[in-house]
Amino acid sequence: MGSTSTKIKLRTSDQKVFKVEEAVVVQSLTIKYFYENGCPSSVIPVHSVSSDILSKILDYCKKYVNFAAGKEDISPEELYEWDANFVKVDQNTLFNLILVGNCLKIDSLLDLTCQTIVNMIKGKRPEEIRTTFNIKNDYTPEAEEAVRREKKWAFDMLRV
Amino acid sequence: SRFLQCRGPFAKRRHPLVDSTVVSEIRRCLDEGIEFQGELLNFRKDGSPLMNRLRLTPIYGDDETITHVIGIQFFTEANIDLGPVSVSSIKESLKSSDRSRSGFSAFCPVVVGDRNVSRGLCGILQLSDEVMSLKILSRLTPRDIASVGSVCRRLYELTKNEDLWRMVCQNAWGCETTRVLETVPGAKRLGWVRLARELTTLEAAAWRKLTVGGAVEPSRCNFSACAVGNRVVLFGGEGVNMQPMNDTFVLDLNSSNPEWQHVQVSSPPPGRWGHTLSCVNGSHLVVFGGCGRQGLLNDVFVLDLDAKPPTWREISGLAPPLPRSWHSSCTLDGTKLIVSGGCADSGVLLSDTFLLDLSMEKPVWREIPVAWTPPSRLGHTLSVYGGRKILMFGGLAKSGPLRFRSSDVFTMDLSEEEPCWRCVTGSGMPGAGNPGGIAPPPRLDHVAVSLPGGRILIFGGSVAGLHSASQLYILDPTDEKPTWRILNVPGRPPRFAWGHSTCVVGGTRAIVLGGQTGEEWMLTELHELSLASSVI
Repeated sequence: MGSTSTKIKLRTSDQKVFKVEEAVVVQSLTIKYFYENGCPSSVIPVHSVSSDILSKILDYCKKYVNFAAGKEDISPEELYEWDANFVKVDQNTLFNLILVGNCLKIDSLLDLTCQTIVNMIKGKRPEEIRTTFNIKNDYTPEAEEAVRREKKWAFDMLRV
Repeated sequence: SRFLQCRGPFAKRRHPLVDSTVVSEIRRCLDEGIEFQGELLNFRKDGSPLMNRLRLTPIYGDDETITHVIGIQFFTEANIDLGPVSVSSIKESLKSSDRSRSGFSAFCPVVVGDRNVSRGLCGILQLSDEVMSLKILSRLTPRDIASVGSVCRRLYELTKNEDLWRMVCQNAWGCETTRVLETVPGAKRLGWVRLARELTTLEAAAWRKLTVGGAVEPSRCNFSACAVGNRVVLFGGEGVNMQPMNDTFVLDLNSSNPEWQHVQVSSPPPGRWGHTLSCVNGSHLVVFGGCGRQGLLNDVFVLDLDAKPPTWREISGLAPPLPRSWHSSCTLDGTKLIVSGGCADSGVLLSDTFLLDLSMEKPVWREIPVAWTPPSRLGHTLSVYGGRKILMFGGLAKSGPLRFRSSDVFTMDLSEEEPCWRCVTGSGMPGAGNPGGIAPPPRLDHVAVSLPGGRILIFGGSVAGLHSASQLYILDPTDEKPTWRILNVPGRPPRFAWGHSTCVVGGTRAIVLGGQTGEEWMLTELHELSLASSVI
């Protein structure tokens, strides 16, 4: 790792340029691929990512790179707690993190953010899920009744 | 690099969902020089699936031959023009469709499109189908998926996918359970959606009677039975005049006319009864303990049922547990034998728990050290749930100077660094009362069946008084407050069912051997509790 000081430049959708350590930025498999296969210019454009989301994502990558390198003096439990705080954001930010995490292929970030959504869905009834995520019920009353009948099994108790 | 159709390193064949008619339609259009439009299941380099809408438009040169084909793929939100590529290269990539190549420019919209979630719009519906399916929905339980599928039309469509349900079942029930379920030909045809529903609600559970051919002779009792895939294996038992038996019988339930077959196995273990027979490593059987001609035993024998010829092999595990009979056993991770309790010399009841890892070349017995053990007992059951947790129920337990039938439930999480027994529910525990619902009457030598998702089903055994041992009871130890419930099932249950004569085949069928009493076994009369519909 002689090249830890190598910096890569990323340009966001709002035209801000971030100078990031190579080790941090290659947490993104997409950027790693881009970088290793000859990047078209000295600045890698990440047009789909805004600067506030990118800076949050870079925070995440830095934390993990430092932790793996033993530079973070924290226990795995503390890192777990740090993760939990990291995803304490509004839904808009959370979904942007998922979209970008998927697009940039940062698997651990994608797993973390998606698990947060999983936890928000668990044990909820359809109407609660709609409220939680602001999803419009687009069924006709007849279709909704049919779906309700089809899925009734999941909401009934055991046959006792 | 466009038509990947590869499922990553495990893929040997084209994915079953890849519609071969679409692929041949593409070929036909290319050959005839006409435009193709259609939908194709494709795969990224990492094996994750995505649906492509694809349009291939041929471009003719001056001499009426096709010089280029313009390919356009439509993604959920971003349209990416793949640009003109030569016909030969497209045909080439169709031919090499099983090879994975990097699809960077085609698949990652980093440098194209705007994927930001817009404020005011519904964020979750802006996630792609594959992120929704692979990263979110697959981690939910069958009930949660049904709930999600009721929310709106897109989520309804998304939750119809059979592959998604397979992942849901796998995540909710564990790989081992789904692997076993896949060995059942009927279950496979039933489909994961249906199976998930039936095993969640138990709506299709029913008792039925089975008559099989062949014979287990000489007649016996106190044998031990165990399932290997869809085969039932019976070993040993107590013959006439307390003769300890050491013969092996197999009943193949996959066969159209199942019949008991005596299997000639060389170097059999000494004869015994009151032992346990467990299945490990797929097709291996393990015999432990029991009562032999010379008294109690603590030896271990393994048989690979599929070996030719099948041979019993003694495992000289170091530091074995005390010799015993009427103990209980179960298999952890498919490779580790767990043994607990039982009856030692001069009728002393035991409360210890031992583990033997049979995946090791030289297996070593290890006692699981615990600060506190449930009262010592025999004739109880051990069930595995939630991966590496075990649940102990019932048995004849020591209580001061006396022995009583028990209905206590204890659990232990063997994935913990220092596993310990926890009392879940029971009447015999201090201050317990019975907050656990309608508990099964105390019993020993009963049957315990682990259901996918961690629930435990109890029936049979020796019960005091007028209680029916045929009644089914169900407990979910993963509940915050585990509560016993009675499960009513159609069909006629056996009047008697004993743990050592019962086994679970293929994860969905509990087979009860013996039609009459504990004295007189009619091994060609079987009762079956099927938990999912059987598809013929």
